[in-house]
Amino acid sequence: MNAERLRWLKTKCRRLFRRDQQEKALDAELQFHLDHLVAQFRADGISERDARLAAQREFGAEASAYREEIRDTWRPPELADLWRSLRFAMRSLARSPGFTVLAVITLALGVGVNTAMFSALNSIILRPLPYRDTAQLEEIFRTTAQEPRGKISVADYVDLQSQMDGYGAIAAFTRADASLAEPGQPAEFVESVRISANLFDLLGVPPQVGRDFQAGEVREGSDHVLIISSRCWQKRFGGASDIIGRVVRINGQPNEIIGVLPPTFNDWRFLGWVDVFRPLGLTGEESADRKPQLLQLIGRRAGTSAQAAGYIARFGERLAKDFPADNAGSTWETVSLEEDKVGNSPKSVFGMLIGLSGFVLIIACSNLANLLLARTMARAREFAVRSALGASRRQLLRPLVVESLVLALAGGVGAVLVAMWATDWLSAASTGDNGEAVPFMLDWRVLAWAFVASLGTAVAFGLAPALFAMRLDLNGTLKSGARGATAGRGHQRFRSVLIGGQFALAMILLTGAGLFIRGLDDLNNRRAGWQSDQMIRGTILLPAATYPGATEINAFQRLALERLRALPGVASASVSYTMPFLGFAGARRYVVEGREIPKAGQEPTADINGVSPRYFETVGTRLLAGRVFDAHDTPDAPRVFIISETMARGLFGKENALGHRLARVGGDTMEWGQIVGVAADTRSIFPDPHPVTFQLYQPMAQEPRPYNEIAVRTAGATSAALVDAIRTTMTALNPDLPVRDLQPADRRIARRNYQLGVLSNMLNGFAVLGLALASLGIYGVIARTMRNAPVSLRFGSRSVRGFGISLTWFNGEGEAGRGRCGGGFARSFWDHALAELALPKHAAQRSASVGRGHAFAHRGRARRLLFAGAPRGTDQPDRCLARGVD
Amino acid sequence: MDKVRNELLQGTLDLLILKALSAAELHGWDISKRIAIVSNERLSLKQGSLYPALHRLESRGWIEAEWGVSDAGRSAKFYRITRRGRKELEVETAHWLSFAEAMSSVLRME
Repeated sequence: MNAERLRWLKTKCRRLFRRDQQEKALDAELQFHLDHLVAQFRADGISERDARLAAQREFGAEASAYREEIRDTWRPPELADLWRSLRFAMRSLARSPGFTVLAVITLALGVGVNTAMFSALNSIILRPLPYRDTAQLEEIFRTTAQEPRGKISVADYVDLQSQMDGYGAIAAFTRADASLAEPGQPAEFVESVRISANLFDLLGVPPQVGRDFQAGEVREGSDHVLIISSRCWQKRFGGASDIIGRVVRINGQPNEIIGVLPPTFNDWRFLGWVDVFRPLGLTGEESADRKPQLLQLIGRRAGTSAQAAGYIARFGERLAKDFPADNAGSTWETVSLEEDKVGNSPKSVFGMLIGLSGFVLIIACSNLANLLLARTMARAREFAVRSALGASRRQLLRPLVVESLVLALAGGVGAVLVAMWATDWLSAASTGDNGEAVPFMLDWRVLAWAFVASLGTAVAFGLAPALFAMRLDLNGTLKSGARGATAGRGHQRFRSVLIGGQFALAMILLTGAGLFIRGLDDLNNRRAGWQSDQMIRGTILLPAATYPGATEINAFQRLALERLRALPGVASASVSYTMPFLGFAGARRYVVEGREIPKAGQEPTADINGVSPRYFETVGTRLLAGRVFDAHDTPDAPRVFIISETMARGLFGKENALGHRLARVGGDTMEWGQIVGVAADTRSIFPDPHPVTFQLYQPMAQEPRPYNEIAVRTAGATSAALVDAIRTTMTALNPDLPVRDLQPADRRIARRNYQLGVLSNMLNGFAVLGLALASLGIYGVIARTMRNAPVSLRFGSRSVRGFGISLTWFNGEGEAGRGRCGGGFARSFWDHALAELALPKHAAQRSASVGRGHAFAHRGRARRLLFAGAPRGTDQPDRCLARGVD
Repeated sequence: MDKVRNELLQGTLDLLILKALSAAELHGWDISKRIAIVSNERLSLKQGSLYPALHRLESRGWIEAEWGVSDAGRSAKFYRITRRGRKELEVETAHWLSFAEAMSSVLRME
């Protein structure tokens, strides 16, 4: 860029921004000229006064006119034109408010939904984790055939730590929920993670207040220190400034709060919503144990990712060789934390949601194109006249493009509003029981997305009809004198495709929503082998410090059940490892007495549950034969089992299962137990198919565990008062023992699947929106063209035929004219999506019939929607619609 | 000699100004004088068309302006042709000459 050009730019800028200065300069320049003119007249021998008058005469008459002309040259021509076109566009949009409102709403909804999805994607997947140099962070897994992402034993972790010079740094953590109580108050359940002392340092997020853990505090005994999350500090302690040094009880033991993490650490994607961090608290015994895989590892690698992976893999090989008893068949792997932060399932769900919201956007787009096309056609005469008067192609297109821009801007603003509203809803709907809200942020990326999407939509789909306008037959239009255009076949076909296409997409959305709702209903209403109404349940965790062994646990459970059963309104109560609707507590392998023992690893496997007396009556599982457990099945009594119907049939066929004896594989000695009962099969509410079909119950007293599910069957309906009474009863037994998630079982079940519920609501929203937009589009177009009866009738029948054809096209069964959109493409699409989300298989298999049913139901609704809204006197197209579809 | 009709052919005004400026930096008055003198008073530029043209040419970047001092010692706005202006002048001159030649050969046709 040379100096000359720079000067020119400067002049341009001055002209734009320094108007007063420019005016003065212009005055001076013209005055200069005038003075010369006067001097010239004087030289001709005219008197001063006359010369001045003559000069004024020659100069003055048109002075203001050419001053204006001069000013015009100061204004950049594009800008001046743009302003003019903008005003013109505004005026012409204001002249047809119906169209404008329809177009803006269409854009706002279509783009808004898409933006909301993008906003969710942005805050969950795109946003990086709030740690230092997250690219270096890796998760380290121990992989076996059963567990692709297994945890790591303490001894293995200790070994890795002492040999990790080549790798970088490694920190360990393990989830260990706890009860937290302030002095003089009952305890509450908190999400707690036990960590190695270097975790925060490794992540690069030191405590905001107070200090970090020290290496020595990891050992048991010196581990009574806490670091709390900023969320916990605000929520539980009201952000108290004297938080450091406070002593609270954790699982009944006094612990000192030594630090508070910064709010950035609240990010849930890696560790979840943690309230309290505690040191690992390892005993010497634990540190030498390779059996229980307890720890999760996170590393910050020093070298490249390949070097780090190689290092970890070699360490795994060494372990497998040195300790084959515990580590044979296992390999060690690293996975980038940033890639893995939300796992694969949310990614595919988001992929699906963005895709589906894209459908809504496409429907909105074709709507807009249709509206603009109809509008362009209605203005065909105007275009014809203007081009006859010599308007260039550019000049003809410009107002259309500017109109689209104005629409895009208004639509973009609307879209942001819609997106804000939608993300608020999403955030509220996906908030967990304990206020675990996913924050949705409307940052610049989201705003940019909204505006680029609406701009792209409006301009692309504004131009399409404009190009049709370009191809108008000038002569014909001018001569015909019609108010609208006698539209060509080309754009008729285009319009048919648009309307047909958008309805087909709306149908796909509807089908999917229908399938989803059915699937979710199936899950929520599944009562397979248990009765969840009139039941209240909660979870307790008996801390090892207070309840170290079977005797203490049994005593506590007996006392708790006695008190609970004594409450008015309680029919029965039980404790168990787990509740049938939440699945079983892990699987064990068993052998049958008196039969050939299968090869190791080939023994029959059963899901197990440990239950107290009166469990079956409390949860509503039917006993088919034999007896239930009772107070006589104590630790000293002979072992007894109850097995499920399927297990009994599988192991013993038609033979009576009662009286046979089983033993668990894997213990040091075979301990035989007698089968005393056969219970009905149960199924959990979870969609994932479970490979184990055998179920086995053992008396809680014979193998008590600290993690207990309490269940109470009420005599009447469940009530809040009863929930409170249960809580008070339990608190009275031990104030440091909070009952977690104490609530009616039905609510718990609904909550467990609430994310699917949110998803289903979203799909429903998409479907209704898609259909509404499609209907709105047809309504708008018919209403517009309806003024010109013959044209609109032809148009009506054509587009409706297009609709029918498009449905047929999606049918896949090829029965022309009998558009069933449940088939073909839509069906395989949804089968795939449902499989992806692991919704119940039988629901997916039914997709064909369900989909068809829904499609028909909604088609009827679509028709109703359409013609309830259509202008009066449109029974002709109705008949056409019927013909086109059926 | 008669003055030629005042309505100059479209585009010629710009060409005249550029040509006048190609030799020297001039202010508006001198431009009109110079054109009048060189054309033997047959072409005269009224201020009504001169100044809009000057400002138009300036905003196209073919000429640029600067305030200076006139011969009479008054401050005046002087215009100067730019490199782009010269290029434009060259092209347009060639254009015009070939057009004029063609026109005259047609008009003088026997």
